[in-house]
Parts: sequence; C-alpha cells; structure tokens
Amino acid sequence: MKSIFKSVTLAASAAALSLGTLASAQAVELEFYFPVAVGGKAAQTIEELTNTYMEQHPDVEIDAIYAGSYQDTVSKALTAARGGNPPQLSVILSVDMFTLIEEDVIVAFDDIANSAEDKEWLNSFYPAFMENSQTGGKTYGIPFQRSTPVLYWNKEAFAEAGLDPEKAPANWDEMVEFGQKLVKKDENGNVTQWGVRIPSSGFPYWLFQGLTTQNGVILANSDGNQTNFDDPKVVEALQYLVDLSTKHEVMAPGIIEWGSTPKAFFEGNTAMMWTSTGNLTNVRDNAPFDFGVAMLPANERRGAPTGGGNFYIFKDSTDEQKEASVDFVKWITAPKQAAKWSMATGYVAPSPAAWETDEMKAYVADFPQALVAREQLEHAVAELSTYQNQRITRIFNDALHAAITGEQSPEEALKDAQAQADRILADYR
Amino acid sequence: MSQTLTSPEGLSRTRVRIDYDRLLNTIGAWTLALLWAAPLLYAIWTAFHPAAYEANFDLFAPITLENFEKAWAAAPFARYFLNTTLLVTMILIGQFVLCTLAAYAFARFTFPGSNFLFALVLLQLLVMPDILIVENYKMIRTLGLIDTIAAIGLPYMASGFGIFLLRQTFKTIPMELDEAARVEGASPLGVLWRVYVPLAKPTYLAYGLVSVSHHWNNFLWPLIITNSVETRPVTVGLSIFAAIDSGVEWSVINAATLMTSGPLLIAFLLFQRQFVQSFMRAGIK
Repeated sequence: MKSIFKSVTLAASAAALSLGTLASAQAVELEFYFPVAVGGKAAQTIEELTNTYMEQHPDVEIDAIYAGSYQDTVSKALTAARGGNPPQLSVILSVDMFTLIEEDVIVAFDDIANSAEDKEWLNSFYPAFMENSQTGGKTYGIPFQRSTPVLYWNKEAFAEAGLDPEKAPANWDEMVEFGQKLVKKDENGNVTQWGVRIPSSGFPYWLFQGLTTQNGVILANSDGNQTNFDDPKVVEALQYLVDLSTKHEVMAPGIIEWGSTPKAFFEGNTAMMWTSTGNLTNVRDNAPFDFGVAMLPANERRGAPTGGGNFYIFKDSTDEQKEASVDFVKWITAPKQAAKWSMATGYVAPSPAAWETDEMKAYVADFPQALVAREQLEHAVAELSTYQNQRITRIFNDALHAAITGEQSPEEALKDAQAQADRILADYR
Repeated sequence: MSQTLTSPEGLSRTRVRIDYDRLLNTIGAWTLALLWAAPLLYAIWTAFHPAAYEANFDLFAPITLENFEKAWAAAPFARYFLNTTLLVTMILIGQFVLCTLAAYAFARFTFPGSNFLFALVLLQLLVMPDILIVENYKMIRTLGLIDTIAAIGLPYMASGFGIFLLRQTFKTIPMELDEAARVEGASPLGVLWRVYVPLAKPTYLAYGLVSVSHHWNNFLWPLIITNSVETRPVTVGLSIFAAIDSGVEWSVINAATLMTSGPLLIAFLLFQRQFVQSFMRAGIK
C-alpha cells in the first residue's frame, strides 16, 4: 500500500516534471511517531489531521505511525535513532526532554525556526507547558497532548451528605472535612463510599506533585540535576497523603489503582477523585450522575503539575525535512487544529488563542467543566523531570509506595530517595 | 512391596496414607488450577457482559457481544491476525530448518571448534533479546528490511534454545539406528530426515508450541521494527486499549484479549493431549 502510494506520487511528480510546472519533484517525506494514552478516537484524529495537512501541502508526505504507549514510543524512537533511522518528529513525554538531549537525538526548535515571527510562535503557548519544554534558554518541545490533574466530584453524593453540591473543597482541611461527611458505611462497618480517591499505582509521583506544589515546594530544578525529595515540606505533603487513609480515614488504605479510579467514581465507590483532564470525555460520557470539576484544593497555594506529551524534532534529518517538520508542528498546534484535538481527546489546548476559536467557545459553553484545566494552568508547574528521568522517578515512586503501604515513615522513605537521587545526579552537576 | 503387606492392619494403614496423599495432591492441583484460571474466567465473564457488570457479579446479567464489536472496530484486527499467522509460521519453519541442521551437526559430527561453537550457542540462552534491540535494528536496516514481517522474525530464527533442545534429543537416539540406515546406503541428510526427525517428533511439537505462543505474544520488537498496518501483529492492535490517561474499560480490553489469544487457546485445548504427552516425552528423555 505504502509502496503503491509512493510509486503513484513518483509517477505524478515525474509527469509534473515533464510538464515543467513543479520546481521540486521529490516530496519531502516525514516519519511521525505518536503514542496513544487516551481511549476513544485519539489515533483516528491524528491521522485525520495529518491527512488534511497533506491535502493542503502536496509537497509533503507524512507517515503517521502509531507507536504504542508513551514508554513504547520513546523506546521505539531511541532505538530507531541509535540504529541510524530516526523519525523526523515524534510526540514523546515532556519529561523525557533531558533523556533525549543526553542521547543527542533532538534539535531545538529555535535552531531551525529563528525569525521574529517564529519567536512569537514559541511564546504563544501557556508558560506552564513551556516549563517542561525549555532548558538552557532553548525550546526543545512544543506542547501538544498536555494534561493536568483536576478534582472531580459527585454532586449527588455531596447533596446526600448535606454538603453544598456546587462547592468543591477549596483547601486541604476542607477536603478532609468533606471527606469525613461523605464516607458511608454499611451495617457491618465496611465502607461503601469513600470520601476521596487519589490513585497511587504506576506513577504516584504525578498526583503527589500536586500536593507538594500546593505545599509550596518544587521537586526538581529546571536544569534537571537537583531534586528536593527530603525537603520538610515534601515530607509534610506525603504525611498528609498517608493521613488521608490512616488518620482521617477518608480514603481507601494501600495502593490505589489508577486505571480503575474513574470506574470507582462512576459506581459511587468514591465521592471525589483526583485524575487527569484526559478523563474529561470519559467521565462526561459515563458518569450516571451530575458531576463537577474543580482545581485541586490549595494549601499554602494552589498547585498542580502539568503532564503529557510534546512534539520533538529529531536531529538526523535533512534541513528540508526539519523545516517541513516545524511547519507541520506549527500547523497542528495552531488554534483551529489544537481546538479540534482538545475536543476529541480532553487534552488541554496548549495556547490561549485555541480557546478563542468559535468551535472551542461553543464547546466550553456547553461543557464549562473543560475550562477548569485552563484556569488551573496559571498555578501549574513543570512535571518532575530530571536527567536519568526513568531511574529518578522510579526511586521516588518506590519511596511513595513505601510510605503509603506503611513500610517506612514518610521522612525515612524520602531521605533514602533523596540520597539515591543524589548519587545518580551528581554526574550532571 | 506386596510381601510386606501381610497383616490387614498394615494394609489399611497404607491405604489411609495413600488417600491422604492423594487428597493433598487433588486439593493442591485444584487450587493451582483455579488460581491459574481465575484471570481467564474473569476475562470471559467481563467480555460477554455489559461494562456495568465489570465489578459486580450477577448470575443473570445480560449477555452481550457488544464488547467484541467495539474491540474489533478499534483496530484493523483482520489484517493483524493475518500478519501474526504469517509471522509465527515463518518463524517456526525457519527455526525448524536451522535448528535441526545445527543440532544434527552438534550431536553427530565432530569438527574442529565444535565445542566452542556450541558454547557460543548456549551463550545465546543467557542473553536477553531486549538488550540486542539496537544491534538487531541496525542489522535489519542494513538489510533494508525495516517495516516487513520478515524483519520481525529474522532475529529469532537461529534459536539457541531450539538447537540445544534438539541436540539433546538427537543424542538420545541410539547410534545403532543411525548406523543401520547408513548401511542401507542413506546419506547423512537422508539419515537425518528418515531417522532423527521422525524420532524427535515430540520435541518438535513441544518446541513448536513454546515458539508459537512466544512469538504470538511478542510486542516490543514488532512495535519498534514495523510502522504500518500491513506488517504489524495483533499485539500492537491490542496495545491501543491500554489508555492510561483516561479510564480503562476492562470489558473491552478483556474482549480484545480473548479475541487475540483465542486461536492459541483453542488450538491448545484441541491438541492438549498431544502437547502434554510431547512435553512428558521430551522432558523424561
């Protein structure tokens, strides 16, 4: 199929050459790897968008290649790059930026696009998203499928517990207080409805970073070579998380599954949940009750991490390919396309201009919950990202698990994690 | 044994002990079997019922095929099935041919450096294939085979495990049979074909099962080396259901899992007796 298509384009361009109407005969070919991390139509939407782009730009041919999960995509891209056959562009987790720089496989956008107009474009995205995309004064990633965690609450359960169904907890104390009112037990003393659910399986650091940010502390510096895991404020945040289960008894004890959290929310197993905005469409389609979406509760301040994937441009390509890649990224992150993508998936449109399009305005008028993520961006910080990112987050996740399951006290666990992280990151200072 | 059981008392004591053993054995077997089957039973239950019954068991829950429809529509599974079938068949044929010839050479011929070469083959058993992904990728690229089904299979064809297993089997075949065939005028390849291969059938069957199920389930390497629908196997299709940013729909995932592992499960159930026997024979010898 691909080869047929190629020969057709070849034949077409040969014909065009003979007529002398086309200056450049050879179409620029781009390989584009993309991961899928939400259910539904994400892959289809990407393919639709690339097809539309190709119709408008007959001199560019983009092969959009599904590359599995985020982890699979980075493995595939790195293997291909080391094997001398990198894609021209790929969507990869924003936190993998340092890894990609260290492997020396990507180029900065400013190195290809450096006109005044380009600079303006680089500045057109939400600063919270750019924190994870820039280092050393250069922009390596362009935000595309980005998300942030928010609090979802069940309005019916709130009303039943005598709470104002239109008001989400504004701070940590309120979350505990509301949670205690929301916990329901059957006659045997088993909990049938928990107050809140903060999932901790897989990558607990992400939601936990919400708590640390709210407590006024940043987990890693922007150079990616220093972590603050044993800061007293981080310990305090972890203590709060552990207390939700052990002391206040508003959350189920032990490790809480990420994947089954929306389901638990739909089934009334929990009255509030913390999860990604990537779930908006899912919750809207499947929650059998009226639900609200709010920013995560504040402590010292409001706060949440950002998350998700950026566009990266790979090094080992021709200048023509790099320019075509930048052009494509510009197009797909432009307001109209970004709005379409955001509505199809629930990801947060990455630039203010996208929220000003008519389509997006109509969407949020009908579904105002989608606006919460945008408002929260003002308080959002970069997702934890360092050199040797996979190892560092693994260490941190293990420490969180040890504290959540009660194997270690929060303080011990975090001290150990910091010591291990220091050993690894010392080489990068 | 029967001579010692002269008194009726001794007889009954022995019987009681045997029953006790058997009881423990049966309980153990059932527990293990249930533990093994539990995820499969859960998958079957959720796949055939609406999503609302994922976590609640209700004997009279309505039965539906909707999950299978959804799963089937989520990716071009028909093409993926074809690709996987081609892939495992190709790998199996390649492995049988290469491993048979290599095993025969190692088992029955002495040539300079044969021990060293066999040690190299054994060394392959110690190396995780995942470590070699980049090297394999480079090699496939040099061959110009990126994004082909052959590229997925090539690195696995010269299987160290297969060579080792067949060599051990060939070594157990009595030399007399070999010599008898030679006396009758069979060439070395003729002996291989008429004597060794037929006698090693149980080993081939057992190895074939392991190979097919392993490559049916392989995910990372096929994902990395292929790019298009025309070459990708079912496991890649299955991976789109692992959507971590949004919720996980267990009923659809389980339907997709049953669908993709179905052919293997059915084949195993149909040929169960032969498989078990081949494992016994291949193992006991």
